[in-house]
Amino acid sequence: MKILRLPVAMTLLLFVAACVTINVYFPAEAAEKAADRIIRDVYGEQPLETETPVEPQSRIQPRELASAVIVLLDWFISPAQANADISVNTPAIQQLKASMEKRHQELAPYYKSGAIGMTDNGEIVVRDQKLLPMKDRNAVKGLVSKENRDRSALYKEIANANGHPEWEAEIRSTFAKRWVGNAPAGWWYQSKQGAWKQK
Amino acid sequence: MMVPRRRVITALLLASGLLVFAALPGFAVDSVRLKLGTIEGEGWSAQAVTVQLNWLDEQHAGLVLQAQDVALPEGLGELSGVTLSCARAQYTAAVVNCAQGRLKAQSSVLGRQNIQTNFRYQFDTGRIDTELQGLHVFDGRLAITARLSDTHWQTTLRGEGLSLPAVTRQLAATGIAIPVVEGGSRLDVTAGMNGVASQLSEADVEIQLLAEEISDAEGSLAGENLDISLHATVKTITTGMQVMLDIRGRQGALYVDPVYIEMPLQPLQLSARFDWLSTEQQVVLQSFTYRHPGTVQLEGRGHFSLAADAPLRELRLEVHQAEFPSLYDTYLQPWLYDSALADLNTAGQLSGTLRWEQGQLSHVSLDPLNLSVDDREGRFELKAMNGKLRWSDTSTPVRSELAWESGSVFNVALGATRLVFDTDRAHVRLVEPVTIPVLDGALEIDDFQLESGEDAALRWQVNGLLEPVSLSQLSLSLGWPELAGKLSGVIPNVRYDSGNLEVGGVLLIRVFDGEVTLRNLTLEKPFGLVPRLQVDARASNIDLETLTRTFSFGRIEGRLDGRIDGLDMESWRPVAFDAEFVTPEDDSSRHRISQKAVDNISSIGGAGVGGALSRSFMRFFEDFPYQRLGIRCRLEHGICDMGGVAPAAEGYYLVKGRLIPPRLDVIGYADRVNWDTLIAQIMAVTGQQDVIVE
Repeated sequence: MKILRLPVAMTLLLFVAACVTINVYFPAEAAEKAADRIIRDVYGEQPLETETPVEPQSRIQPRELASAVIVLLDWFISPAQANADISVNTPAIQQLKASMEKRHQELAPYYKSGAIGMTDNGEIVVRDQKLLPMKDRNAVKGLVSKENRDRSALYKEIANANGHPEWEAEIRSTFAKRWVGNAPAGWWYQSKQGAWKQK
Repeated sequence: MMVPRRRVITALLLASGLLVFAALPGFAVDSVRLKLGTIEGEGWSAQAVTVQLNWLDEQHAGLVLQAQDVALPEGLGELSGVTLSCARAQYTAAVVNCAQGRLKAQSSVLGRQNIQTNFRYQFDTGRIDTELQGLHVFDGRLAITARLSDTHWQTTLRGEGLSLPAVTRQLAATGIAIPVVEGGSRLDVTAGMNGVASQLSEADVEIQLLAEEISDAEGSLAGENLDISLHATVKTITTGMQVMLDIRGRQGALYVDPVYIEMPLQPLQLSARFDWLSTEQQVVLQSFTYRHPGTVQLEGRGHFSLAADAPLRELRLEVHQAEFPSLYDTYLQPWLYDSALADLNTAGQLSGTLRWEQGQLSHVSLDPLNLSVDDREGRFELKAMNGKLRWSDTSTPVRSELAWESGSVFNVALGATRLVFDTDRAHVRLVEPVTIPVLDGALEIDDFQLESGEDAALRWQVNGLLEPVSLSQLSLSLGWPELAGKLSGVIPNVRYDSGNLEVGGVLLIRVFDGEVTLRNLTLEKPFGLVPRLQVDARASNIDLETLTRTFSFGRIEGRLDGRIDGLDMESWRPVAFDAEFVTPEDDSSRHRISQKAVDNISSIGGAGVGGALSRSFMRFFEDFPYQRLGIRCRLEHGICDMGGVAPAAEGYYLVKGRLIPPRLDVIGYADRVNWDTLIAQIMAVTGQQDVIVE
């Protein structure tokens, strides 16, 4: 009997293991917040986070004569909390965000004039090039093309940075909504049916 | 032109017959009205046609020809309420002549027309001369003169102040593939045509366009302040037509998606001679010249099959006088947005030949002349390139050469280089070894092979050697703090595949009196926005005194060994590694750490400690001996798992002091530290502007 126990136990364990599937749901709310943080930075609005002042966290302990030990308590810093948040703090994401922030200065007037609109897949497009001066049309198309390349890379990097490459599409659609949600009135966006609407 | 001719002939013959009849003695008729019902010809028909004649005297009659509806050949629409009247037409046995007639009609295409006309018909030859003045067409006026005989016809059209939008709308409505444009413009047209029966033999067309602002619906074709003229001659041949075309742009700006052209001071000119073979639906381009003064001149000939999906069959394109930067800015850049060549400052010239055969690019021959390219994002630059670049779509290699006077990659200067290489359909091979000067050293390339796969993915590999490059120059070029030492290495196998670079072999860096070796170096998308670098590094026998002086950290004496395994950098910033730097176990060098260094370490660890140290008895010591020092950090997800040189009662020793006084220990307590903040602190302490972590 004893000989049989191990295989039986292992089989049972296998069943248990097979039954336990860990479902990781896409954290929609956290993703929206993360998207809002990035988008507000890109749009150049005031950031909402505030820096918390840091307390001195080291001490010096004079011991006996001509001897001391410096204890570096916390390196000044508390480690980041590991919670269910969506992490957007990798160099790649920062780099992409910075690149988009810089470009936004150039794009903003075209959003406003309606020459550029936001698509429902989280990108932008030249929706009416007649609103662009003829000589600027190529330059704006170049900007749009670079912006879309950055955006696609951003969605992918966020999914990767959070260890779920399969979230890319959901992150993209979250961003698609939030680009529109955070945009000022007057900018154009595309509805799910493809029609253009003005916010 | 055939339509009015036949109608007029028919009407006149009938009328003249009646006139002859009426002129017989004993038939004194004052007025005749004939109902002719429907009359038809090839492609047209007229309904409810009536002719009325009012006899004036022996030589003259009043004539009124009416038709309720006239259907014209396709594209010309319909006429209704047609009235051709001549108050006093001259009649002799030889001729009918109306010097002042009037044609009124409602045209479905041209609207209501009230046209002054004259016509003359000769009975013996059957010849008709007619002139129509003041047709209201396309918001302008059109005059037509025509001469028609039994076999030949000849006509001249003169249109003045026509509107281009109206013309393009009408042409598009008749099924001609022409973009419909809107906007203010004035079109003057003169066309002379002649032919036999219903066939056109020759045409000579001159068009002058002045447009303030025109655009098609999508804005992909647009113009501003344009002054463009076109001259075309067309000759009918048995197989189709021979066309000669000459277009000149004198003024204004033109946008043909994606190319934007500002007309140069000297006219932009396109001349072409081609045959249109109607049954084969083919265009044989005998010759063409495109001249954009100051930018490029293209010449060539070709063969197009318009019925095919890809109309281009054959084309030979000679590029003359291509001038940079305007060639790049006007014609090349619009196609390069998604490439590394998207944003360049360019200078120099280019000439060459391109050939397409059976719809495929088959030969390329380009000769750059002092061509310079400089990436505006500062990633690369090559100055004064000269050479002969050859490629053909065959497996037989052809020889190419390229030399440049200077250049740079990521701001690291490259010296004059001459490359000789062979190319075939999908390969580039270096023919002889080459030495590319890099700063004060050089990159020796023994062999280089490039392959472009069927999937268009680019692969290359290179074997070479890096002759010692001074680190001080390299670090300054890269904007780092100045480092002392040399970088060198054997690079036995560098492979590039679809954007990723992999370095085989070992790169050796002699720095800080010690050695750093780099292994397993891979670089993803080095020219992309988010380059990713992976490498394993070993450091041995680093002199801490040189190191701390370089980074103005506060003097530490001693030696240091270290390793960084699995360094993973995104955008040149580390995201993961496992690193350890410690005093070698057997190190016999002098081990001292200065008070400033202790202060700095303390500042990184927490504010105010430096002050505390200097207030204590320890302030009397300029430096402290130490037994060993070291730090470990395993970085993952922005958190560094910290450790030191040895475990302490609580935490770990970063600096373990000697037993004999003055003794100083630095103990780290936190084992998880936020990397970004740590770097910011280190930067603040060392006064560096940016992250340098190598």
